[in-house]
Amino acid sequence: MVGGGAVTASRGADAPVPTGPVPPRAELDEATLVVRAQEGDARAFEVLARRHQPALYRLAVRVMGDRAEAEDALQEALLDAWRRIGRFRGESAFSTWMYRVVTNRCLDMLRRRPPLPVDRVADSAAPDSPERSAEVDAGMVALRRELRSLRAELRVCWVLRELEGLSYAEIAQITGASEDAVRGRIHRARVRLSEVMRPWR
Amino acid sequence: MALNPEPADAPVAPLACGRDPALLWDRAAEGVPLDAHERACPHCRAAHADARGLDAVVHRMAGQRIEPPDAVLDRVMSAVATELRPHELLALPSPHGPARVSTAAAAAVLRRAVDGMGGLRARSCRIDQQGVPGADPHAVDVRITVTARFGVDLASVTARVRRLVIAAGEQVLGLPVRRVDIDVVDLFGDDEA
Repeated sequence: MVGGGAVTASRGADAPVPTGPVPPRAELDEATLVVRAQEGDARAFEVLARRHQPALYRLAVRVMGDRAEAEDALQEALLDAWRRIGRFRGESAFSTWMYRVVTNRCLDMLRRRPPLPVDRVADSAAPDSPERSAEVDAGMVALRRELRSLRAELRVCWVLRELEGLSYAEIAQITGASEDAVRGRIHRARVRLSEVMRPWR
Repeated sequence: MALNPEPADAPVAPLACGRDPALLWDRAAEGVPLDAHERACPHCRAAHADARGLDAVVHRMAGQRIEPPDAVLDRVMSAVATELRPHELLALPSPHGPARVSTAAAAAVLRRAVDGMGGLRARSCRIDQQGVPGADPHAVDVRITVTARFGVDLASVTARVRRLVIAAGEQVLGLPVRRVDIDVVDLFGDDEA
């Protein structure tokens, strides 16, 4: 049993604290983990981060278009989340809040970076990685390149809708834009991508 | 002068036939078949073909497995460890001079004790060490919220948790517990294990 020793240490003749098996943190429900993290429990935060980071990283990779930058964005965003989790009031799902933190961090990094040279665009998978060697998918390479040419606000909305499968309402919460604005951005992105991808159909 | 032909958040312009292309696109993505107008209308059919044309490659992209390297979370947790709120401390009674424990660490000990009771989980745990004149300066007040498994005898929960928190506070932390407030805030089922 994990950690039972800590609780059995008893002084004098006091009745020992009864100890049963402690459920692993990874099995705790999200609401419990969020409250614990808000009260400064770093291990609870780690479980939350581990649970959500695949989706957050996917978003960052698609928005940044570059894995190294996406890793930086994810890392900074998770630290932002730890520092700000006390302000999460449950007005949205926790996953929505996390998407929002990552989105803000990505947009901030994009605003501050000079445009990447075009030849790095096709290389967002690491050279020689299984993904890359399996990727004889020219259509996907082209889509990734065109995605990068979209304005960041359009790209974020499109990725959240088409790749993460979120609703307009959730995307509005994440981006802070109105649902109508989100709808317009997604449509513009779709039209633009379908035009430039026509040769790949 | 550069003109912006595409104001950032302009409303979606209707097709020449008056239909809303965003709505048409959403329905195409959901696989809703064309209605009678759309089948006959060249504008709608073109928009529908555009929507369906992107489908396959977008699906392939959405299906890609992308996992972050473990090093990212490792670095985050190292940074978190250096940022733990060190100003929130509880004073411990000690014959060897001042001793302190972080409030978060003490709360983790109490939560863990409750988690081990079976059928109960601690959620919030606040520990307050406000000295009251004339009382033990180390005494703490604890406010704890718990969730209980369906079927756990709720009538006895409060008394059991109170006994346990007092015992854990005194035996594990060495802190006299003056007051324990307990709220059962939620129930969970076995499937949520």
